[in-house]
Amino acid sequence: MFWQQALNGVVIGCVYTLVALGYTMVYGILGIINFAQGEIYMYGAYGAVITLGLTGNLTLSVLVGISLSCVVGVLLERVAFKPLRGLNPLISLISAIGASIFLSSSARFIFGPDERPFPIHFASHMYNFLGVDISDMQLIIIGASLLLITLLYVIVNHTKNGRAMKAVAMDAEAAMLMGIDVDKTYMFTFLIGSALSGVAGILMAIYYNTTYPTMGTLPGLKAFSAAVLGGVGSIPGAVVGGLTLGVAENLGAAYISSGFKDAFAFLALVLVLVIRPSGIMGSKR
Amino acid sequence: MTPYILHVGIIIILFSILSLSLNMAVGMAGLVSLGHAAFFGIGAYASGLMMLEGLPFIVCLLLSGIITSLFGLLLAIPSLRVKDDYLAIVTLGFGIITVIVLMNMGITGGPDGLTGIPQASVFGFDITSKPVYLVFCVSILAVMVLTTSRLKASKVGRAWAAIRDNDTVAMFMGINIYYYKILCMVISSFWAGIAGSLYAHYTGYINPMTFGMQTSIMILAMVVLGGIGSIPGSIIGAAALVILPELLRGLEANQGIFYGALLVAMMVLRPQGIMGRMKVTDIFARGGS
Repeated sequence: MFWQQALNGVVIGCVYTLVALGYTMVYGILGIINFAQGEIYMYGAYGAVITLGLTGNLTLSVLVGISLSCVVGVLLERVAFKPLRGLNPLISLISAIGASIFLSSSARFIFGPDERPFPIHFASHMYNFLGVDISDMQLIIIGASLLLITLLYVIVNHTKNGRAMKAVAMDAEAAMLMGIDVDKTYMFTFLIGSALSGVAGILMAIYYNTTYPTMGTLPGLKAFSAAVLGGVGSIPGAVVGGLTLGVAENLGAAYISSGFKDAFAFLALVLVLVIRPSGIMGSKR
Repeated sequence: MTPYILHVGIIIILFSILSLSLNMAVGMAGLVSLGHAAFFGIGAYASGLMMLEGLPFIVCLLLSGIITSLFGLLLAIPSLRVKDDYLAIVTLGFGIITVIVLMNMGITGGPDGLTGIPQASVFGFDITSKPVYLVFCVSILAVMVLTTSRLKASKVGRAWAAIRDNDTVAMFMGINIYYYKILCMVISSFWAGIAGSLYAHYTGYINPMTFGMQTSIMILAMVVLGGIGSIPGSIIGAAALVILPELLRGLEANQGIFYGALLVAMMVLRPQGIMGRMKVTDIFARGGS
């Protein structure tokens, strides 16, 4: 029972991690909280579900879903954040909240308020490891997350764009003087963060077999909590925070009270911010 | 006046109290809250529960304000460690937790909420008819506007402005920033509690969903639209955001598109709001955080 709940927590934690990485990169590089990350996740899921319904091609629809997330993310950066650069982070935060409401309401308008099941039913095999049941979908989520986290690590540390991101995060002005196109780096950051959230959205749409306009709100807020828990701005922190939150939430729901399941994440968020704002892995802000 | 117009009027007044109370924190002291509707809810539930126990309305009204301000104090003390966007997130978490607690507690009726809250009467006079209730709410708003504008012009208001502009400098000038921040949260939540009580006795029925994040954001949108820091602005913002959805009745489900676009557009184009004179970039100059 304990290990089973812990495993389910790890699976959800992987999804939180993917979204939390988006939050953490945007925060680390632009210093703003992109409240609309959960909506980017939702658009990714819708992109995939609708394309799959039309064409029946899984690979194509996953690509369309990720691309839709990227388009939404980059447009968001251009419209809602770019004009506010250099102002107090609160102004960007209010703008981001507005963008988040706008995006989820638009989705409701475009796609309709009803829940949509995932068009393809995945035959579910259960494997048993040492008494813990794991489905193939859970294995896919864990595998895809590991792959993407590794990929992100390589991109950030071993590509030109990634090194530009690190430079801008340290000091945007100095980076500009060194010839780095800061604007392009911001866009690249949003692009990668949005792609990760898009993948997370698609994985969850398959896992829970449902897609709806507000599906991104709660996971978005929880992923943000995860990013803060791990230390916002830190990539390893997002991974640690996401997994910790997923496992803690599932164990809390199983052993304490399922009605308060969602409260655990936010209680953790408030406590971390108040007691140790730099999070588990973060350095002092 | 038709009952419908009176109803809209009462709702405008209640939201004016809410947006003005939030503006006290956001505009006057620079403390941004994304969980203000939680105080509204705490006031409504406190008042509803006390009224169901048989306490008279006026006592419930005052006590619910006081009880809510205790919760304000409870949130303010740990929140002193954080500011700006981090404070906003702490209050957001507080708001979400409050709704979850209201949903899961037995005494609050869980997701079904409280029903049959007795209607209001003052010293034996019935104030349940809509015109009388509207006048009652307007007089409470008037008291609030008067005290708030006096407060804004007083030593307390100047201390808040100093903290908002730069809390480090304020501290060096000898202002006890902790005391004034807590005071601001307490007064702000007191008024939100009063609004909650007025709302509970007006509708006679409350449930947790009314007091969620969407309402918090709507109140913040009223403040931002009217002008951060402006007292008439808060009332104009509240009136605009109550009336507009009424005009857009057919679009109910899609109101969010409008709200969201409005918030982004206001921040990008006119962050000082309708009534704001200062540029918000001056109000929230990026201090040496």
